[in-house]
Amino acid sequence: MESTQRTAVAGLILATCLASVAIAESRKEYRFNVGPQANVSVDTRYGAISVKPGSANQVLITATAKSDKVEVESQQNGNRVELGSRLLPGADPQSGRVDYEMLVPPDATVHLRSSTGPITADGLQGDVTLEGADAPVDARNQRRGHLVVQTMRGPITLNDVHNGHVEITSISGDIHLNSVTAQLVRVDSTSGKIFYSGDFGLGGDYKFTTHTGDIEALVPATASAEFSAQSLQGQVQNDFPLQPRKHSHISLDATRAFMGTAGKAASGVVMRSFSGKIRLKQR
Amino acid sequence: MKCADVQRVLPEVIEDLQDGELEAHLRSCPACSELVADLKLISSEARQLSASDEPAPRVWVRIAAELRAEGLIREPEAAAPATPRRGWSAWWLVPVAAALLAGASYLVSHKQAPQVAQQQTPAAATPVTSAPASQAPAVVAQAPAAKVSPQQKANHRTEVAEGPSPEDEQFLSEVGQRAPTMRATYENQLRAVNAYIQEAQAYVDRNPDDEDARQLLMEAYQQKAMLYRMALEHVQ
Repeated sequence: MESTQRTAVAGLILATCLASVAIAESRKEYRFNVGPQANVSVDTRYGAISVKPGSANQVLITATAKSDKVEVESQQNGNRVELGSRLLPGADPQSGRVDYEMLVPPDATVHLRSSTGPITADGLQGDVTLEGADAPVDARNQRRGHLVVQTMRGPITLNDVHNGHVEITSISGDIHLNSVTAQLVRVDSTSGKIFYSGDFGLGGDYKFTTHTGDIEALVPATASAEFSAQSLQGQVQNDFPLQPRKHSHISLDATRAFMGTAGKAASGVVMRSFSGKIRLKQR
Repeated sequence: MKCADVQRVLPEVIEDLQDGELEAHLRSCPACSELVADLKLISSEARQLSASDEPAPRVWVRIAAELRAEGLIREPEAAAPATPRRGWSAWWLVPVAAALLAGASYLVSHKQAPQVAQQQTPAAATPVTSAPASQAPAVVAQAPAAKVSPQQKANHRTEVAEGPSPEDEQFLSEVGQRAPTMRATYENQLRAVNAYIQEAQAYVDRNPDDEDARQLLMEAYQQKAMLYRMALEHVQ
């Protein structure tokens, strides 16, 4: 009997706590009618943002504010939609958090910014910009468009991104690229590591640059690319069979640089690091 | 018609003197007749003036000064003070970031003098905790002026490497005021980027013909510019 009473009291307390949280948390839905090539941006200091393709002429955003210490402001000017979180006095990273779930036209230009994240973009075809100081960023299944990702410490992961321009910059966040092929791929980091797994497509230009971060590329035997790797003060390691470049009379320090081609050298891959280790491996 | 009457109506009728009374007066008054003749001459000469005959600016300046001295013209009232902008007035970060990129572009594109030593000396492995990357434009300004030796450059960098730059200090101070919880993060990232810039710069100085090293230096500056921009956008 006594244990039953204690259980009932505990349950009542728990229910009260959950109810108070539910009361403080608010969820609101925003709908915007737009035309082709809409421009959608969301800016929040704290909170997660996820975006997926939806209806071709409508933007649907669900914003969940964790407390009454933050407000969501929205604005539409023609084809341009903007949402942002405005912190009120007393807000902190917990109470000031707003999570956004978005459905946008597939060809929309999207600009997402969150300091904490995570930020997720899945299946878009327009230009996408994802920014976050510490936000983990995950972009996948993107076709065409210009993909720009910038973080300070947040790790960045790209999966299945093809046919466009890709520009990734992180100061110390690690960057993972899995099956990423594009006309132009630029990845820059200070101390973050860069991992690439894929075949580098047919005809793209890839450039990976770090200060101290290591660079590693895992490539299938069928890859067709011209590779150039150099670490000014670090080491390089080549575990992939490369043919020497034709008409190349440059003498290289084998511990600091290597060059060569694979297949028909359809793509160009340049890996540069100041003191990080660069490694090319065969999958 | 008297002379005073003639002088009063003359500006209106100078081009077409058809007034009978006026003509009668001019026939009988040498002074007014001479005045009309002078005015007509001035009018005809003025039509032939070309744009190149515009008086020099100093003429207008002198005229304006004399008019002010006589109290005939007054300076416009000072504009009302602008309403203070909401949010962080840190748009100085934008020109700083632009200056960083401009300095980096100059470094990458400029070729050092041949007298610079070619010997490749490994840089110090330990990154300097802070580097006045914003001093780069000053360094750039020095480079083309004279054939500065690598030793002189190294000495200069040692001198400026001690302590963060004033811009970095102000940057961190602003971040600390607006977002205290983010200061440590930005400080660490800034330290890493400054180390990148300093090491890359030192390498370029020792290997001025190394284009890859120049590109790395450019990347380093771009990383720092991105850091400043992130702070500007996120910490408002």
